Amino acid sequence: MSLDTSSTRSLVLADRAPGRTRIDRAPRRRWTLERIVPFLMVLPVLAILGVFRIYPLLLGINFSFTGDRELNGVFVGFQNYLTLLEDERFLASARNVLVVLLFVPIEVLVAGLLATFIFLKVPGHRFYRSVYFLPVVLSPIIIGAIFNIVLAANGPLNGVASSIGLPTVDWLGQTLTALPSVLGVHVWATFGMAMVIFLAGLSTLDTQLLEAARIDGANLRQTIVHVIIPGLSQTITFVFVTTTIGMLTGLFGLLYTMTAGGPGTASYLPEFLIWKLNGEARPALASAASVFLLLLVLVIGLIQIRVLRHATKEA
Amino acid sequence: MTTVAVGAVAALALTGCGGAAPTTGSSSGGAESGELVIWNWGNSDEAAESFQTDVIAAFNEKHPDVEVEIVAQPFDQYYTLLGSAIEAGTAPDLALFNGGTQLASRADMLFPVTEELADLEETLAGWPAFQAGGETYSAPMFLQGFPIYYNKAIFEQAGLDAENPPTTWDELTTACESILAETDVSCFALGNKEGLGIEFFLSGFASGVFTPEEYDAWIDGERDWEGEHARQVLELWQQTSEDGWYNAGANSTAMFNDSFDLFSGGQAAMVIGLTSGIAHWKQFDEFLGEDLGFMMPVTVNDGTTLALPAEGGIGYGILNEDKFDLGVDWIRATVDHDALSAYSLAGGQITSDTTIELDTDIQSAQDIVSELPGSKPLLHTALSGETLDLLHRLGQELLINEVTVDDAAGQLAASEG
Repeated sequence: MSLDTSSTRSLVLADRAPGRTRIDRAPRRRWTLERIVPFLMVLPVLAILGVFRIYPLLLGINFSFTGDRELNGVFVGFQNYLTLLEDERFLASARNVLVVLLFVPIEVLVAGLLATFIFLKVPGHRFYRSVYFLPVVLSPIIIGAIFNIVLAANGPLNGVASSIGLPTVDWLGQTLTALPSVLGVHVWATFGMAMVIFLAGLSTLDTQLLEAARIDGANLRQTIVHVIIPGLSQTITFVFVTTTIGMLTGLFGLLYTMTAGGPGTASYLPEFLIWKLNGEARPALASAASVFLLLLVLVIGLIQIRVLRHATKEA
Repeated sequence: MTTVAVGAVAALALTGCGGAAPTTGSSSGGAESGELVIWNWGNSDEAAESFQTDVIAAFNEKHPDVEVEIVAQPFDQYYTLLGSAIEAGTAPDLALFNGGTQLASRADMLFPVTEELADLEETLAGWPAFQAGGETYSAPMFLQGFPIYYNKAIFEQAGLDAENPPTTWDELTTACESILAETDVSCFALGNKEGLGIEFFLSGFASGVFTPEEYDAWIDGERDWEGEHARQVLELWQQTSEDGWYNAGANSTAMFNDSFDLFSGGQAAMVIGLTSGIAHWKQFDEFLGEDLGFMMPVTVNDGTTLALPAEGGIGYGILNEDKFDLGVDWIRATVDHDALSAYSLAGGQITSDTTIELDTDIQSAQDIVSELPGSKPLLHTALSGETLDLLHRLGQELLINEVTVDDAAGQLAASEG
């Protein structure tokens, strides 16, 4: 059965404005300076992306299919990936990613609540805004060094704990506490940025709604649950996903200074493993681990796009 | 006019290029012009800086027209950066390497200098750390050793004989019990954050645990991790932790320099230190003075022969075949007798040149040097990078009882294939 498209075609042609013939449209396709300039202006960015992002990325992916040492440059197929699946550190880092994801809601909740309090102008809100943002400007290495001292077995935190009769813990030297301690510090160090995004989102809230809620006698909890959270749905989604990506790709500095991946493999994450493998003269294997991290972030990124698109439709 | 000018410049350039090489070549027997790019991880102090200057001067005596460019890279990132540079085709002509695992795992990138340095074999010690597959890849500049240092003042405080440190494991155990009972400090300073503690423990005490035959077999690659004595090392490591020998939070204490600071600051009675650029006799002497003591490993099992664990520490390897001859001469300059003599005193490093006499009245240094003739290579540097990393992780897990000795030994045996 053939499909007759002649009627549709005639409708489309009929819809054309009078006089829009092929001859009239031809000059519009000319590459005039006005049409070329925007592309030229975008070109440097594309070139930078291409040279410094896309090309190394492709090189890295290509490299992950080659061997190390005596097999340097030799195509080995998926051997590196199979090797990784048998590597205890890789499996541990994959497991630890799940622990990292558990801390994402904590950071979003902390940042969201504190931003809300500042937005609602609790006493001293200007002071708190600065204080909460301060850790964001510190280097992870400095933060790691500070918390190495704070969390040391004989450090001030354990000093306070023992003074009030609580047991002391080697926070960074025990399997159960090492990664959560690093993640806790990471939350402290980075929630300020999420808070600023929340504040920006809060500033776009309809003040009339807030005023109406106040006049209707809504308490703080009711205001947050029924007015602020629904109004911030897009912001919450954005912060949630960017925080996840930040945690997956931005913990190296803290891990390096605070736990070095240990004890054992307790605080290994993909980024740290990549660095370790490269340091062991196994760059191809490190590339395979990098591709794994890329896929991980890509999945999160796709979720981000999907969730944001969905949230936009709701709005 | 322009053509004439270009021609004149070209002629001058050609004359310059063509003229310099033959002149220096004929005057110094094969000297070249150009540049020699060398990577290392920098100089820790003035003494190291001075040593580097001496080495460059020794090299330039033979190659006055070769410019030496030293590129100092951060040690933490050193092998990562070097690996990346090699892959990217931007590797230096020569690079500094730690002997043992770090060099052996990269031997395929280096050009052997076995025949070229054969005449130095008698005067230098520590060659095995720079050999792999029957070839020599560098000359050892300094010796890397794991001597046990102790604090005489703490020994006296604990009622121990400071001039006669323990010689057997039982005596060491008794000494630790006394130190823990009579003082407020730990018996050993330990930094195990990077997992390095167990490699110091293994190599530091090995000669008192393994028979000489077992020791040599280990170095030759015949290692039985599930054998009695290898298991014993793991057991002792775990037991000493349970007995409270170490400072609190050892797994979260960095060895460099936190654990060594604990010893220097009188917070621990003993430490397994180094003979190379850091945590050596001279550095500890600055803090402890006459209280600094040196002791040999202790006898754990019958039939063992105590030996100072020491081998070649660092040396330069050649990465660029085009600069091979220059590279050989650079390596020879790094073991220049005069340069090493000056540095051994100023820098505190025990050099590989056995003809150098250490002119110091610091007793611990003299004691270490006197033990060098009977020294044995370090056991941990014979391991592959993968096994060594596994050992680090298992060392941490053993310390907090998260793995059994049997399991650890099994994993290490499997890692060695």
